[in-house]
Amino acid sequence: MGTPGFETPTLLKSRFENYWLNGSYDEMFESEGVPRPQYRALYEMLLSLPVEEMRRRKQTADISFLHQGITFTVYGREEGTERIFPNDLLPRILTSSEWGTIERGLTQRITALNLFLRDIYHEGRSLKAGVVPSELVYSCRHFRRQMREFTVPKNIYISVVGSDLVRLPDGSFAVLEDNLRVPSGVSYMLTSRTVMKRVFPELFRMAGVRSIDHYSETLLATLRALAPEGRPEPNIVLLTPGVFNSAYFEHAFLARQMGIELVEGRDLIVDGGIVYMKTIHGLTRVDVIYRRVDDEFLDSLTFRRDSVLGVPGLMGAYRAGNVALANAVGNGVADDKAIYAYVPTFIRYYLGEDPILRSVDTYLCSKRDDLAYVLEHLSELVVKAVGESGGYGMLMGPTADRARIEEFDRQIRADPRNYIAQPVVPLSRVPSYDPALECIAGRHVDLRPYCLYDGENVTIVPGGLTRVALQADSLVVNSSQGGGSKDTWILRGED
Amino acid sequence: MLSRIAESLFWLSRYIERAEYTARILDVNFHTLLEQSRDRYRLRWEPLIVMAGEEERFRRIYDEANARAVFEFLAFSPDNPSSIMQCIAKARENARTIRDCISREMWEDLNGLYFQVNRFNPAEEMEAGPHRFCDAIRFGSHRFHGVTDATLPHDEGWEFLRVGWFIERAEMTARLVDVQYHALYDAPPEIGGSDNHQWMAVLKSVGAYEAYHKKYHSSIDPEKVAEMLIMHPLHPRSIRFSMTEVQSGLRAISGTGSGSYANEAERLTGKVLERLRYDRIHEIFNLGLHSYLNDMLKMCGSIGEDIARSYFYYAVVA
Repeated sequence: MGTPGFETPTLLKSRFENYWLNGSYDEMFESEGVPRPQYRALYEMLLSLPVEEMRRRKQTADISFLHQGITFTVYGREEGTERIFPNDLLPRILTSSEWGTIERGLTQRITALNLFLRDIYHEGRSLKAGVVPSELVYSCRHFRRQMREFTVPKNIYISVVGSDLVRLPDGSFAVLEDNLRVPSGVSYMLTSRTVMKRVFPELFRMAGVRSIDHYSETLLATLRALAPEGRPEPNIVLLTPGVFNSAYFEHAFLARQMGIELVEGRDLIVDGGIVYMKTIHGLTRVDVIYRRVDDEFLDSLTFRRDSVLGVPGLMGAYRAGNVALANAVGNGVADDKAIYAYVPTFIRYYLGEDPILRSVDTYLCSKRDDLAYVLEHLSELVVKAVGESGGYGMLMGPTADRARIEEFDRQIRADPRNYIAQPVVPLSRVPSYDPALECIAGRHVDLRPYCLYDGENVTIVPGGLTRVALQADSLVVNSSQGGGSKDTWILRGED
Repeated sequence: MLSRIAESLFWLSRYIERAEYTARILDVNFHTLLEQSRDRYRLRWEPLIVMAGEEERFRRIYDEANARAVFEFLAFSPDNPSSIMQCIAKARENARTIRDCISREMWEDLNGLYFQVNRFNPAEEMEAGPHRFCDAIRFGSHRFHGVTDATLPHDEGWEFLRVGWFIERAEMTARLVDVQYHALYDAPPEIGGSDNHQWMAVLKSVGAYEAYHKKYHSSIDPEKVAEMLIMHPLHPRSIRFSMTEVQSGLRAISGTGSGSYANEAERLTGKVLERLRYDRIHEIFNLGLHSYLNDMLKMCGSIGEDIARSYFYYAVVA
């Protein structure tokens, strides 16, 4: 009967028996049973690894995540609000040329988005030239009039970005969404790498995976670049909404990694236009705030009066140039889903270049023709509310029931500006380990690389958060809806 | 260090100490009474409620201060803000909000203790008697302090834990001595002065029974018991020992040398320690033990308030 825990090669092949190719781009196989070169090492290892060993490695990974306390919060429950973020055992692998395109594309895009923000809060050149309809900008819920005519430190609006990319059936990458406000998830990228190095050390050596360890240091340098003049040793803090926020783990993680203070709004005070933190030895001046609190909650004197998460008077200190905020206030206008449709246009306008990364076709319900088309084709389209993120306010036409479609029909007619529609994007698929069936299956993924911009350079650590829809055929990758994460490997050159 | 963090650390250890102290007193009292007659019950259980400063709340819920009622009230009751369960929950909540400032081991240990005590079924425990439950608390508190000592850098944060821990202990010991004397001296003679068992219980509850014999080589004498608990320089539960720890903690935080003080909290701590060092127990008794301890409690209260003023709170800028 052979050695226990060791199976014959025929049985091993069956690990891929639930794996089939469909219309989506398959990142592992170029055709049935033929892995792409960058996946060959992983493929061979998976064929030779006994079932027992896979199980063991999966357990090692799970325990490692549990012990590191890598959790996210599920709202609406009293006890046990923290959940372990599900992690898929198998890495996603991108070649250095694939990565090169992403890197160049995102650098171009972020540069243009930053110019756009600077422009709309100052001269408004692109609006006057009709590149972007001004009513779209001024009607945006995230447009902050308080930012007009205010020059942010070093003209950097976007210090930290997490853009969502998808891979289309032809293998090319497209941007699905820009997150220019308080993008999260980078801690999952960093911790899942730590775990994977423990689980697949041999594969790392064979494949030649680029390191992502320098993220925290680069983030710190990015924040330091924002410090006001004459503050050579700036005091940088991370402002969190507090322990009940879903990303609190990440806030604490990053603060620790950078060795900076993790503060809440109540730890800060504004006096004479200067921001201080309250320490046991008195007030200490704060120069740069990496804020993970949304615009609306930052300053109860300027924005929502009922906010206790922010610091009263913060906007005054910001406008006086005494403190820097990362990201800047008012960025939400540039990641508005209706403005999204104009990003390729203003990349050409500001940079005189063709966009490197594609965008997904977008119908703006604020346009009459588009609106008519969208209402006709609701059951085929994905409809999104323009100011939302994280899968909220979304209609998945093909899987929605009639009541839901009718509900959206009403909402869109009532407020067309608030909605856009896109065709369903068949996300690419990568191999994923199903611990219940102990087999490998193709699952849909997206990719969120993390970019840092210090005014001169865009740094993108070679990696990112790959979110995976763990349910078969599902296209929803959000963690609140059964999505998990995968480690993302960018290989070193020569492919 | 952020004031908010310091305050959470301070209260974190205060709550743990309060839980442990309450558990000790409950446990010893229960076991002493197993060998006593029924009519003394009221006299024995009521002081515990007085000590916790919760008579009013207790009376609103219970008719009589019997073993079961007092155990439930002090150990489990959600209506008693100082019940052991409440203390552990509050300690954990304080730790939770500053998770990134304490060691992982501390968090895991405290979290474990919280879940452990929550698994206890109050009805079952009240049937079985307080020992199992109180033992878990006592052990949990010791373990937590051990873990803290071994895993947290001994910096300012650690000092705030120490100050909170010992100011709570000083207050609890002062209350214990005060309440027990009150109860025993006011009682009829056959229950009061000559009742050594109760004094043994007091010593046992602070873990000082054996130390007492080692020091005095004599039978239990209430005055000596008081002396031991108030002014013993080295017994870790005496008021003097506790206040010495508070003093060195406060000095480490402010960087003040001996013979000087940086704030009102340090001045008062020094003043309390002078008295504890140079007073004699018979002088205290002549003056009146109750008023002496009451003074001491007031000063401890003021010390706590001034720590908050000096380190935690900022006046709202108009």
